[in-house]
Formats: sequence, C-alpha cells, structure tokens
Amino acid sequence: MTRFYSEEQVITSITRLTPSRLTTYVQHEFLSPAQSESGPVYTAADLARIELICDLDEQFDLQGDALGVVLSLIDQLHGVRSELRRVMTAIEAQPEDLRGRIIAALKEM
Amino acid sequence: MSNDPYSALGLKKSATDAEIKKAYRKIARTHHPDLNPGDSTAEAKFKAASMAYDLLKDPEQRRRFDAGEIDATGAEKQPERKFYREYAEQGGHGYGNTHGYEDFGDMSDIFADILRQRQAQGAAGGGAYGGFAGGGFDARGADARYMLEVDFMDAVKGGKKRITLPSGDNLEVKIPEGTRDGQTIRLRGKGGEGYGKGPRGDAYVTINVRPHKVFKREGDDIHITLPITIDEAVLGGKVPTPTIHGTVNLTIPKGASSGQTLRLRGKGVKRGSKKGDQKVELQIKMPPNVDADLEKFMQDWRKGHAYDPRKGMTS
Repeated sequence: MTRFYSEEQVITSITRLTPSRLTTYVQHEFLSPAQSESGPVYTAADLARIELICDLDEQFDLQGDALGVVLSLIDQLHGVRSELRRVMTAIEAQPEDLRGRIIAALKEM
Repeated sequence: MSNDPYSALGLKKSATDAEIKKAYRKIARTHHPDLNPGDSTAEAKFKAASMAYDLLKDPEQRRRFDAGEIDATGAEKQPERKFYREYAEQGGHGYGNTHGYEDFGDMSDIFADILRQRQAQGAAGGGAYGGFAGGGFDARGADARYMLEVDFMDAVKGGKKRITLPSGDNLEVKIPEGTRDGQTIRLRGKGGEGYGKGPRGDAYVTINVRPHKVFKREGDDIHITLPITIDEAVLGGKVPTPTIHGTVNLTIPKGASSGQTLRLRGKGVKRGSKKGDQKVELQIKMPPNVDADLEKFMQDWRKGHAYDPRKGMTS
C-alpha cells in the first residue's frame, strides 16, 4: 500500500509541529492534504513540505501571507525546474545534429 | 562533516549568542536546500549549520559542549530528514505551479501543451490564473486531492466507488480495471469552484489498494503460493487453484518441488488490451501428523533410494 500518514502520525513524527500549527498551515492552504473517508491524510512529500514550512516559520519568522508568498515562489521555482528538466530530457533524446543546432542557437542568444 | 560546531557556522569559540544566531540565519538563508535546489553542497552545509546551531543556541548545552561533557551531535541523534526538493519536481504532490507562460508570446503555445500534459499525468497544478477577461477577475478553481482505499479485487476488476468525507460531501470515482496501488485518477471539473467566469478545478484521487491475503500483484502478473500434499507432489495431478477470475484446475507435474513456479497464461490482471499471467509457486505441506504407515514406508524407501538435494553446496 502506498504510505499515507494521519494527522496524529504527522504530529508525532515532526516533533516541532503542534496540532494548532498544522491546522493553521492547512487553513492558509500552504498544505493540501488528500481527503479520505477517515479525514485528511498526508504523503511523504507533504511531510517534507511541512519541515520546510516549519523552517520558514521558526527560523525566518515568516508567517501568514509572507510565508504564503515565499512558498508560492518556491513552488513556481520547482515547477519551472521540473519543466526545464523535461525540455532538456527531450533535447537529449534528439539526434546529434539537431542537438548541435539547438546548442548553437542557445549560444547566439 | 566537521566535528566543530563553531567552524560549521564560521565562528570562533568566543562568539556571542547573538553572533551565533546571526551566522546561522545567514547560512540557512544562503544554503537551505529547498531554496537552492540546484546546489548539491547546500544540503551538507545546511545540515552541519543546523546541527551546530541546535547545539549552541541553548546556553546550557553550549556550556556542556565547551566543557567537553557532550559531543558535537548533542545527547540524542536526530533522525534522517528528507528535504522537500527531493519530491518537489516529481509532480503528483499537488503543489506544482508555474502559472503558465503567457508572457512568452508565440512560444507559450508549446509550453501550454507541456503544461496540459503534466496535468494529465496527475501533477495537480495549483491553479493557473485566467487573467482579467471582461474587466472582472476570473480564475480556475483550486484542484482537490483525495485518497480512496479500495479492496484488492475492486482495483483488479474495476468499478464505481463513492468517497464519503467526514464533512458529508461525497464524490463518485470510476476505478478502471487493473488500477495499480498509488495510481492517481483525475476527475475533470470536480475540484473547487472557479472565481468569476473561471472553470472549476479538477479532483485527483489517489487509489490506495489494500493487500489481499492470497493474491500478490507484480505488475500485471498475480503471484500466489499454493500448498500441495506430498502425494500430489509425487504423483502429479489436477489441483483446484484460486485465480482472480475464479477457480481453475492446475496440472501439477509428477515430482513437483517446493518453490517450483507454474504459470497460468492470461489469468493475471487485465489492463486495457493487455493481460498478465498468474504465477503459482508450489509449496509441499506435510500431513498434520506423520503416521506409522508413512514412517514405515519412508524408512523402507530410503534404504534403496537415497538422494542428495544438497549436492554441490559447500558449508
């Protein structure tokens, strides 16, 4: 079974997280746990994201909208990187002469 | 990693508490792995600085370290932390968000296509913004994520399921035949309501398949362990065998061994036009008690028919 964590399991495994802080993060839509018949559930990616949010909250004193703006920029950065990676993978798969032309075009810019 | 928390923060032992905090914040800001996804040294530097700061921020712990009472890792070891960037680019986690490439002019069409494909693969976008058409604010509604636990057979056979949430909302999900554990199904327009004239977001339902006590899935093949009696193993014969499509008679060859695997073609998971097989691993089970007849037979048999299945094994 794919691993999902309940709210209690998340709070137990991330010691610096409190139930009220988790609620705040979800209310601000910093996190969007999957809804299940037994309530919200979290994936390993959600857990890593919570660690990042805790870092930004505690160590950089970012809360509320400021934290939301930073998270949104991080999401956009990762989104762009993911798409850039797809483009580079696609270029990588092309014949050498085409790759060469693309590289030459990049150098000209 | 350095064993000296002061050098991990680029400081001397005489640093003040304020200097420690300042140094840590600077490293955290410039080396946080999630803020520097492309820098592979960032994680090590950040971890070293975090550990050092955890130790030194507390005056009592710092005193004990300076006095040599505890080592650089402090009293208890921290569990291995997974950073968000390890997941961030994979998609499917619901936070991917590039807000489109409309400012790219003609080229944006290419990227729009890529974006659409990404969405189709289950990377729930955070919601592309629709702009200011007609002077009002229109935006696509947020995507919603769901997790649905289904029985093994329901995932194999497919069917309709309904998610009933604690809030009372419910959602019908069509599970395709041969759905795998962890697969995400997209329900177009079943997410949050749009803003203005914007369309509704989509719903992404991750299917969590409960394990079955008999059948194990390996891709589109099904694996089972089938117990057989010693007489079936010796003499061979037809044995009723459960498959996901019902019971079939499996021919056991004469002289079958434990661990031997037989294949039932086309009796695995059906997914689209493809069909997997069922693999049946035989396991010889002894009778509940070895009676006098069996014991006597074996003693007589052994006299003239000894064999060594462990030949070639070195101790």
